[in-house]
Amino acid sequence: MNRAFFISFLVFCAVSFGMRTESAYGAEVLNASKPESTEPVKDEIAENILKQRNFEKPVSHLIYDYKSTKTVPIRFSIKERIKSEADVYEGQIVEFEAQSDVYFKKDLKIKKGDTIKARVGTVITSGMNGIPASIIFDNFEFPNIKKGQTEDRLEVFGQDRSLVVFPLKWALTILPPSGSLTNFIMGGHVKIKEGKVFTMYYHPEWL
Amino acid sequence: MLKKMFLFALFMMLPVSAFAIEDIKSADIQKEAEIQKKLTDVGVSVLNANKIDGRVVFVYDKAEVKDKLKLDKTLLNREVIVYGYDYKFIEDDNELAAFLSRRIAEAYRSYPGFFSGRLNSLKIKAAPKKYQIIFDKIGVDYMVRAGYNPVAMITLINKSHPQKRGDGLTSNVTSKRLAKIYEYICVKYPYFLKNNEYYQNKSYQNFLLTSVNNRKMLEEKLRTRSRKELNYE
Repeated sequence: MNRAFFISFLVFCAVSFGMRTESAYGAEVLNASKPESTEPVKDEIAENILKQRNFEKPVSHLIYDYKSTKTVPIRFSIKERIKSEADVYEGQIVEFEAQSDVYFKKDLKIKKGDTIKARVGTVITSGMNGIPASIIFDNFEFPNIKKGQTEDRLEVFGQDRSLVVFPLKWALTILPPSGSLTNFIMGGHVKIKEGKVFTMYYHPEWL
Repeated sequence: MLKKMFLFALFMMLPVSAFAIEDIKSADIQKEAEIQKKLTDVGVSVLNANKIDGRVVFVYDKAEVKDKLKLDKTLLNREVIVYGYDYKFIEDDNELAAFLSRRIAEAYRSYPGFFSGRLNSLKIKAAPKKYQIIFDKIGVDYMVRAGYNPVAMITLINKSHPQKRGDGLTSNVTSKRLAKIYEYICVKYPYFLKNNEYYQNKSYQNFLLTSVNNRKMLEEKLRTRSRKELNYE
């Protein structure tokens, strides 16, 4: 009885050892069956179009110090009217004009009439349920001011009709399916007139 | 003899297994703490570099996927939760930044606007398909500003999002999302495509392989300097 148990114990040990080695061999087999590296698929846009041009590495903002709370407003307006978000495209450079002098400690930073360049960052088209279109301007180039010292983006919205659409939708739920018809109310387009003044803040002591 | 062997085996096994469980638990906690630290490091770097003046926190949850009954806390609590399922696709800091950046864009969108941002949150819920693309794009901007490579957004989405056809009303087909991100990087940050660190990456190569038609359309658009919006597949 004891001998039989001892033998079965040995068999159990041998089997479990065998399973371990088998799994180890299995792993080797898996590694061995890895496909060999093939020729990479070419990126024609990078090779045919972008390769001919030089691009600077985009500026990142990795050194900062937000201790100071001092702010100076910068007021500016667009030089050329934008009638709708369809008038601009992502990556387009647009020009704004400073509407007042900007001083810090009696030092003139921006003079009234100075050109402020910016890029159309993201164009968001208007949507159903009254969701307005918007244009996000970024990459502002304020003269004499470091990029880290101002806000990064300015988003300009069209007319927001969702404020009316959502209450209307809920009010009409008692008369199905009229509530769903409010889905088709579209949001307003972005319209930026020359005289419209925007304000961004200059943080003179930020890095 | 049998009794002795049984007792001996019991004596040898029990304390070992108890210690083993303790070791596994402490290793799990340590691993979770490491992931949490990495998440916070990368997330806060993106917030600071982009001067995001609204608080957003980052939480690692090792649960495989979000419980269906749980609310998405991104808009409600401004809390970005990274579940185990999502985290297992992330291979480097750029991909982690890609995941967090687009969620930060979503959380930050819920700050301004009427009723302390509630109306904005409602809009995002009402038009998830539209905002999916917007957050991809804003996420790319955040990544670049924080010093990460935006191409990682493509590699991450390519390997982690299935090509679903069923929910066309609530989300975009992944290949379309990828094509839009590629176009966005191509137009705004071409430096990263020209000096592409991810060119040899298998996931990126797979994206190139599966996006030939979309890239041909974009190539034509760039050549002709057209501004019309492309209808990607």
